[in-house]
Amino acid sequence: MTTLQYDAIFQQIEALLLEYAQLQVPIQDDTDLINDLGFDSLKLMEMLEEVEDIFDITYPLNDLSNLHTVKDFVLQIQQIVGGE
Amino acid sequence: MGLLDKLDTIAATRETLLPEGINPFDVVIEEIHSATEGTIDGHRVVLAGTNNYLGLTFHPSCIEAARETLLSEGTGTTGSRMANGTFSGHSALEKELAIFYDCSSAIVFSTGFVTNLGAISSLAGPGDVIVLDADSHASIYDACRMSGAEMIRFRHNNMVDLEKKLSRLGPKCKNTLIIAEGIYSMLGDCAPLVEIAALKRKYGAWLMVDEAHSMGVLGEHGRGLAEAVGVEKDVDFTVGTFSKSLGSIGGYCVSNHRKLDLIRYISRSYVFTASPSPATISSVREALKVISAEPQLRIKLWENVDQLYRGLERLGFELGSDPSPIVAIRVPTKENALFAWKAILDKGIYVNLVFPPAAPAGLSLLRCSISAAHTPEQINFILKTFADLKPMMTDAI
Repeated sequence: MTTLQYDAIFQQIEALLLEYAQLQVPIQDDTDLINDLGFDSLKLMEMLEEVEDIFDITYPLNDLSNLHTVKDFVLQIQQIVGGE
Repeated sequence: MGLLDKLDTIAATRETLLPEGINPFDVVIEEIHSATEGTIDGHRVVLAGTNNYLGLTFHPSCIEAARETLLSEGTGTTGSRMANGTFSGHSALEKELAIFYDCSSAIVFSTGFVTNLGAISSLAGPGDVIVLDADSHASIYDACRMSGAEMIRFRHNNMVDLEKKLSRLGPKCKNTLIIAEGIYSMLGDCAPLVEIAALKRKYGAWLMVDEAHSMGVLGEHGRGLAEAVGVEKDVDFTVGTFSKSLGSIGGYCVSNHRKLDLIRYISRSYVFTASPSPATISSVREALKVISAEPQLRIKLWENVDQLYRGLERLGFELGSDPSPIVAIRVPTKENALFAWKAILDKGIYVNLVFPPAAPAGLSLLRCSISAAHTPEQINFILKTFADLKPMMTDAI
């Protein structure tokens, strides 16, 4: 997958994060979903449902244990989109 | 950061409750008088949040069965089912559960929670897939994590989402376990089990139904939702608990797959925990007989559900689901839930306080559970109290 595709996913994720995050901070690769954006488990699940719809993917809950930063999230989605 | 620093947030949340005299998660029932009455904080209260659906905790024959076994077999087994913790009563109960469910195999566990941990984490493993309803009980989520299987969540009772998830799995469906619940514990709504069973057949997956809140409540024989809607043959594994309709503690998994019996050897929550006490097992065996012999209990339960549900509906409350023994009142905010819960308790009624993350979809709930043992007068008292306190439950704080 090219850098452009990473950026395209990032842009869509950025919009979602700003919509669902409890704390409004600039979204960067190393922004932490819990510590910086204040996500709790319920908000995260709500957002994941929308991510699944937007990208037409299934996000396995197992991936949550490796999800810390925005970059993690974008790479996970990139991998799932590529796999499906 | 120190080991215990993470608990500071919990401490801060608890502190916000205490000045109001509200400590909903440390309630002590100082005396228990019957299946529907107890004493809390020095006051006699109606218990309307105990999941004691058939009121069997005080059934004379269940108490007598437990008493006799307590005297003859002692207070505990002091061992796991795998070692010295299987007495003749445990084996007999497994045979009786298999007969009750018309299944070939049954396994008894020590609680409902560890039933799910043990059964799910043994049936599914790395390389398998579990597709679970979003509103599944915490024990199901924990069991899925323990299993090492790929874990996929479908939106609560949303069959379009379930089918989408199954269709993407392709050939992996033959290694996929779908998990749903007969009645969901917070809102009291049922799974659309006919549709789930149809999807299970269409995609060649496996199906487990947790009948924890529906056993003894639904179905001609009280076997649960699968019996009530006629899809028992499609359910590969049924799990449930002894701690609700059966009025005791423990859990079970039944199946027509004879290989179920083999999970005894690999289920960590079966092998490495003490088995239920002999007296507990005797009370459950008796309660199982009562469920079969006294179908009028189920009829009474549903009459009581109807009285409470229709009454609350007439009062204009927003309820969580269609009528079921779990009647959840939706309130606007967490603060409404907290203050109303305390006021209801002060008036002499214990209900459950539920707010996120325990409640689904960010809801705040006052959750009642109805029993066959409630009297019409007790339910009228609940309705009158809720009517008196309605503004506290409906006008956002």
